Amino acid sequence: MAKIKVARKSTFIDMTAMCDVAFLLLTFFILTTKFRPSEVAEINIPASTAQISVPDRNILLIQVNKEGQVFMGVDDQNTRLRLLEKLKERYNLSMTAEQTNSFRLLDAFGVEMSQLPSLLSMSNDARARTKQPGISLEVVPPKQSEFMDLVQLIRQSNEEIRVAEGRPTSEIMRIAIKADKDADYEAVNEVIAQLQQKKVNKFNLITSARGAGDSGAAKE
Amino acid sequence: MAEMNIPDKGGKGGKKSRSKKQSTRVDLTAMVDLGFLLITFFMLATTFSKPKAMEVNKPAKEDDQEVEEAPIKQSKTYAIVLGKRDMVYCYVGADDATGVKVDSVTFSRTGLRSMIKDRQNAVQQQWGDKDELFVMIKPLPESKYRNMVDVLDEMAITGVKRYAIIDDFNSIDSLIATGSGNRLRPIKGFNSLKLK
Repeated sequence: MAKIKVARKSTFIDMTAMCDVAFLLLTFFILTTKFRPSEVAEINIPASTAQISVPDRNILLIQVNKEGQVFMGVDDQNTRLRLLEKLKERYNLSMTAEQTNSFRLLDAFGVEMSQLPSLLSMSNDARARTKQPGISLEVVPPKQSEFMDLVQLIRQSNEEIRVAEGRPTSEIMRIAIKADKDADYEAVNEVIAQLQQKKVNKFNLITSARGAGDSGAAKE
Repeated sequence: MAEMNIPDKGGKGGKKSRSKKQSTRVDLTAMVDLGFLLITFFMLATTFSKPKAMEVNKPAKEDDQEVEEAPIKQSKTYAIVLGKRDMVYCYVGADDATGVKVDSVTFSRTGLRSMIKDRQNAVQQQWGDKDELFVMIKPLPESKYRNMVDVLDEMAITGVKRYAIIDDFNSIDSLIATGSGNRLRPIKGFNSLKLK
């Protein structure tokens, strides 16, 4: 009786299907990824049970950090360019083409308007490293604060761009406030009060999602 | 790793063999590795949770026309004063500071939320409709922005229909503020725009 030989199986695994799966998933992730924009200031947002999602385009984002410093940014690049024209006129600034281009790519800023050209001449890395002091909220009668100026000019620019591109009135820029949860209320309140001076009575507070069951001031 | 291609040596020399059939198998292991490496990167770089927004509508301030609204009965109101260190002080409004009982609570399910619910029930019994309740939210300058968001959130959770954030303080609020070591007035030159 001869022994039955156990047939030796080949150790080669066909990887084709595995490869297909991997690349299918990869394609999905590449198409759905949105990278986080670089942050001008570190802000931890509070949690709430609000269900509305933040509109992701055509918003004016006002950021208030822990120290109560204010930063602003518009997402629409045409609006940014139009705004810069108006700022040059209002504050007698002169800009090179290079500075104009870096303002076009600037997500948010927080300096006094007189400092804006020097901020724009920095390289991206240097700008990310510098701590910007925030936009001035100081009101010296009879002039209004630079923050109010900016709100006014940004809304004007956005409206002009909207009319020029012939978009419907439903696409009016929304205003969102993203404040740090440990910011003093008086800082946020000042921002809101100045917005109301400029006839902005409707805005969004950006919060992170939370279930209704959690207690409010849970100590982390 | 996968296959060894043993070169076909020797054999019968001389006779021209037909061109040898090469294996068409390609080793895809490395390709899979690469794929999953990239997937891992994209998974880690993706932002999953989108922030949510809270809609706030402030009443428009009309400078030229004084709109006198009908005063709300004190027995329908509830004042929530926010202080520092996450403390909350609630009282039911009264015309004089004698008969006011101020409760200090914290943000928790048994704290503020149950206080609001109790107050809703009281209004329900007195007026027959809990939506008659009007909550006045009064954040003191040193309270944190987080507290205001939390209170607005409680309004949504408990289903209070009528509430407002109010910045002017009455005598009771100033008593609460001094008693708890809060400032009543901002210092940093804030609110330099006192509205008429």
